[in-house]
Amino acid sequence: MTQRQRGPEDRAADRFTLDVLREAFLAVADEMFVSLQRTSQSPVIYEVLDFGVGLTDANGELVSQGNGIAGFLGPLGEATRDVLRRVPDLAPGDVVATNDPYAGGGTHLSDVALVRPIFVNGELLAFAAAKGHWTEVGGKDPGSWTADSTDVFQEGLQLPFVKVYRGGRPDRDLVAMLRANSRLPDMVEGDLVAQAAYLEVAERRVRELCDRYGSRVVADAMREVHARSEALARAALARLPHGVYEAGDHLDDDGVGGGPIPIRARVTVLPDRMVVDLSGSSPQVRGPVNCTWSGLVSGIRTVFKAVTDPVEPASDAWFRPLEIVCPEGLVFNARRPAPVAAYFEATEAATDLVWKALAPALPETLTAGSFVSVCATSIALTHPDTGEETLLVEPQPGGWGANAVKDGEHALVSVGDGETYLIPAEVAEQRYGVLVERIGLDVVPGAGAGRRRGGRGLVREYRILSDEALLTVAFGRHRFAPWGVAGGRPGSVNYVEVVPADGGMPRRFGKAASLRLARGDLVRLVTGTGGGHGHPRERERGLVLEDLANGLIDEREARDVYGVSPDPD
Amino acid sequence: MPGTGLREHPTLLSRKTREEARIRYRTAIDIGGTFTDLAAVELSTGELTLSKSPTTPQSLDEGVMAALRRSGVPADAIERLVHGTTVVINAITERRGVPTALVTTRGFRDVLEIGRANRPDLYNLSYAKPQPFVPRRLRFEVTERMSYRGEVLRSLDERELKAVARSILEAGVEAVAVCFLHAWANPAHERRAVELLGELLPGVEIVASHEVSGQWREYERTSTAVLSAYVKPVVRGYLARLRDRLREAGATAPLFAVRSGGGVASFERAMRAPINLLESGPVAGVLAAAEAGRRLGASDVLALDVGGTTAKTSAVIGGRLRIETLHHIGRTPRFAGYPVQVPVVEIVEIGAGGGSIAWADEAGGLHVGPRSAGAEPGPACYGTGGEEPTLTDANLVAGRLDPEYFLGGSMRLDPDAAWRALERLGASLHVSARDAARGVLRYAIAQMAHALRLVSVRRGHDPRDFTFVAYGGAGPLHAAALARELGVTQTVIPPAPGNFSAFGMLLSEIRSDAVRTHVGRLDPVALAPLFDELEKEAREGLEEQGANVEVHRFAELRYVGQEHALEVPLDPGPVDEALMVRLRADFDRRSEEAYAFSLPVAVEIVSARVSVSLPAPPVRWTSAGRGSPVGRSFGPREVDLDVHGGRRRALVLERSSLEPGRPVEGPCVIEEEASTTLVLPGQRVEADDLGNLIIREGS
Repeated sequence: MTQRQRGPEDRAADRFTLDVLREAFLAVADEMFVSLQRTSQSPVIYEVLDFGVGLTDANGELVSQGNGIAGFLGPLGEATRDVLRRVPDLAPGDVVATNDPYAGGGTHLSDVALVRPIFVNGELLAFAAAKGHWTEVGGKDPGSWTADSTDVFQEGLQLPFVKVYRGGRPDRDLVAMLRANSRLPDMVEGDLVAQAAYLEVAERRVRELCDRYGSRVVADAMREVHARSEALARAALARLPHGVYEAGDHLDDDGVGGGPIPIRARVTVLPDRMVVDLSGSSPQVRGPVNCTWSGLVSGIRTVFKAVTDPVEPASDAWFRPLEIVCPEGLVFNARRPAPVAAYFEATEAATDLVWKALAPALPETLTAGSFVSVCATSIALTHPDTGEETLLVEPQPGGWGANAVKDGEHALVSVGDGETYLIPAEVAEQRYGVLVERIGLDVVPGAGAGRRRGGRGLVREYRILSDEALLTVAFGRHRFAPWGVAGGRPGSVNYVEVVPADGGMPRRFGKAASLRLARGDLVRLVTGTGGGHGHPRERERGLVLEDLANGLIDEREARDVYGVSPDPD
Repeated sequence: MPGTGLREHPTLLSRKTREEARIRYRTAIDIGGTFTDLAAVELSTGELTLSKSPTTPQSLDEGVMAALRRSGVPADAIERLVHGTTVVINAITERRGVPTALVTTRGFRDVLEIGRANRPDLYNLSYAKPQPFVPRRLRFEVTERMSYRGEVLRSLDERELKAVARSILEAGVEAVAVCFLHAWANPAHERRAVELLGELLPGVEIVASHEVSGQWREYERTSTAVLSAYVKPVVRGYLARLRDRLREAGATAPLFAVRSGGGVASFERAMRAPINLLESGPVAGVLAAAEAGRRLGASDVLALDVGGTTAKTSAVIGGRLRIETLHHIGRTPRFAGYPVQVPVVEIVEIGAGGGSIAWADEAGGLHVGPRSAGAEPGPACYGTGGEEPTLTDANLVAGRLDPEYFLGGSMRLDPDAAWRALERLGASLHVSARDAARGVLRYAIAQMAHALRLVSVRRGHDPRDFTFVAYGGAGPLHAAALARELGVTQTVIPPAPGNFSAFGMLLSEIRSDAVRTHVGRLDPVALAPLFDELEKEAREGLEEQGANVEVHRFAELRYVGQEHALEVPLDPGPVDEALMVRLRADFDRRSEEAYAFSLPVAVEIVSARVSVSLPAPPVRWTSAGRGSPVGRSFGPREVDLDVHGGRRRALVLERSSLEPGRPVEGPCVIEEEASTTLVLPGQRVEADDLGNLIIREGS
């Protein structure tokens, strides 16, 4: 659409125009986000919202973003800046794709970033970028991400900053190659087309803003967003309790026999900056739970944002006061060709470590430990009614920790997820041909007890109705339970249990890759209770009785842990 | 007014005589947050009567009866009463429903509490989920199971159900919701459960999910059934009380309530599924805007309602309202809200109303809303305790509002208080109070323009093709600037913009919808009987079956593999292959419009909807809004038009003084009782025969 009323070209940006443009940049990101969600063919995008979109300035500094999950705080800007470094011949209508885990913005091969330069009057003004989880990019296991790869070559097709669109048109050769390397070629092509379409819409919106306000004013407004963002972040830092905080923990295992994996963070909160040092953590491991620099940055930024100001829109400049120290070659900053398919386990662990270090000092902002694992689940199977190949991919929600002012939440998606929706039983049965026998809260006696108690985890049961199915899961915190704070009890662990139809012994585990299931087998997915806050004996009697009436604790727990008996006199 | 003579001797004239005299009022009453508004049209003359009375939250029917008394409309002269009420939304948001239990399929009692497990407030690590309306101890499971194809996998265990009924009886609840898995595909078990529970729990309200929603997704459908049960006794009590009071007062007319999906339902039908009254009031405003557009020959209308706390926008395209079939109560970008699967007119609401508070953040950035000063403490200029600057204060400082003539002079504004509030804001932004006011206005107008673009440009429609209808107390004040920003060519300020929702109800068609989830290919063999069945169901909802009903059919479609679907209307005619081919082509076109692409893959249907309506009889509203002159002359006053011409003297006119055929050049300010219209330089304004003010660019 063209504007009839044109503002005076390049007039000095008055301050209120900048306020209006700041909101306009957010609106562009929101529009890209909502539209992509509505048109995507990948359930991981439309249901799980495992994607992020945004605008950057001409230097690749993120100005605004629309996010479905918390985890994508950083890759968009980093990917764009690497595009600037690596792709010298950028032209209007180009779209560059990258999923290189070890380069800018890379996490694992399933997450593909697309970057489109926006030229106005022949001048590079901005970039539109989108990064989303594509359901199938090849590799050794259906769904591409897995729990037992030992190098990146087993994890799928690599796209190292290649032009997938030139002059507004998809590169047919490249699309053919993408299709040939995927088990679900239509889905891959559909996601590419939808994702690229929204970059074009973003470009159109930016042009409209330039028509109205002048391109120099738009560029000024982007700079202003950065200045303001950084100022707000520093102001928030100044209010935090300053000091040095430390925490240690473990990742369960590497999925191929190694572990536990020690990890450690030292967090220094200064009035004008925060330093997070992970040097004390384990070297990279043989299995796919490593993350690379972008994954680490996202993980740390998530908790930095939470403790500074969770509400203000994020930009790259917000994180200028954040310094991350982690030498290459560690589990949090892995080197090529380390396996990274389940990178989110290390990313979430990094978030959780800093969270754990700071929680005692911020008892109302941060909760006790949560189930923190994506609890990524995928089941590949043939739909018994339609005969179609399907792939059920979903994260699982679990119990969150309590803090000084509230009980933990029951069954809520993990910190790395966000506006992520659990797949309804009615939809799962129709779409994948499984039978859902239960979606409920899992009550583990004693877990997460506290003055404020941890939230309960989820139990979900799938009965396999097809002749066979392949199960891949990565459930972290399978050995090390969520931590309590200030006398609160630890929560409980996440696990997967398979009850064979043939009457064999049930098996319980945290990770599996392409585990073969037979018709009638039951898959029970169970997530943990979050940690408690404060001593359980200090919990108000009325609240204990209410939990008891609601079956969230049993009489024994009420009596032995909380010191409350239902009949007092 | 006509009828005065009759009112003096109500007992002397039989109803029949009065009917013969044809003095009949179509009457609409809308309950708002602050006022209960009445609009009535005398059908033989088209004369409009308006009245207002304070809303009485403790017992809403008091305010309704008071508004009726003030209007002078005799109860027994009411031809038809249409009512918009906040009783449902109030009962839910204030948690004033009845204690409710839930009966569900074994294995799924926690679905209501788990919800979809989403965390919209991404970086808030202390997020609190929506609290379920039924606590865990009142959620019961019974053994039974359907498949997604509607086959019985396990029959309903009636012994278990009887045991559950005993527990429910002991718990002493007043309502029970029943939601079984896949009841959308086969409701047999739910029906049987309702029957049994009805026998065992006399006096307890029982709602089954399939009665209120034919859609899939167990959490959303459970939530719909639970909220329906939770409010049902309250709404039933309210509607019955109001009906009885109206009958006692002599009213014999049919009584209707406005439904959230547009259209109305008889009180009797509304009592059976009150959840459909959820967004009764705002929807009436959109209906009225659509009607205002239709009367001007415009089928594409952008509606803007600016009230005290929010601005609401909606688009009418091709004469039809956009209906969403899933709505979230209380949802914000930071809160998941409570889902209900009932048709609701799509309205985008933003926190920019007259009372929205302007503030500066630590980095010196300006914001307006979403916090509102509301009616209490109110904007600073109300002098009722509010000290923070609001949009109303900015309008006053900019001279766009007259302190002596707010609400028709019934309330005097305090300009000094507004100036002080904006000076404080200006100090933190390092600008003058005057510039701060400009900033607040620009920001608020940009936000409103954004909302208007959301419902137009974002859907692939160019706002310049729309007729823009602005109403609500504060809508007309911002309409001209928005029109210029969006490039619309025709802006309409309807008569009585402050009573517009009530007015809209006068114009509502009687409409009934039936919706059902049906996932599959575009197969006419399966779809023809489905649409027939839905049409039958929708017709049954209309009670007064007429020959001249309009039937509209819709299909929600998507590309195979997509999750989200687009609703596409079906052409008239039999559901056959040819119709399917046209439907597919329409879907591709709409997908291009809405999302900038179409795909060469198969298309599937997700749900079907049939809407049956009796068109509303025409209502003339010629004299509306003219009102009587207040006998007060308005001198020109200085108005700050900011980018549209700076500070300049503008003509101030009483709305009733504008006449058709005599346009007035902007800048000018047009005052009327409950609203003020600002017209910019370069625009002109004219009254039309229908009582509207029409603003256009150019002279």
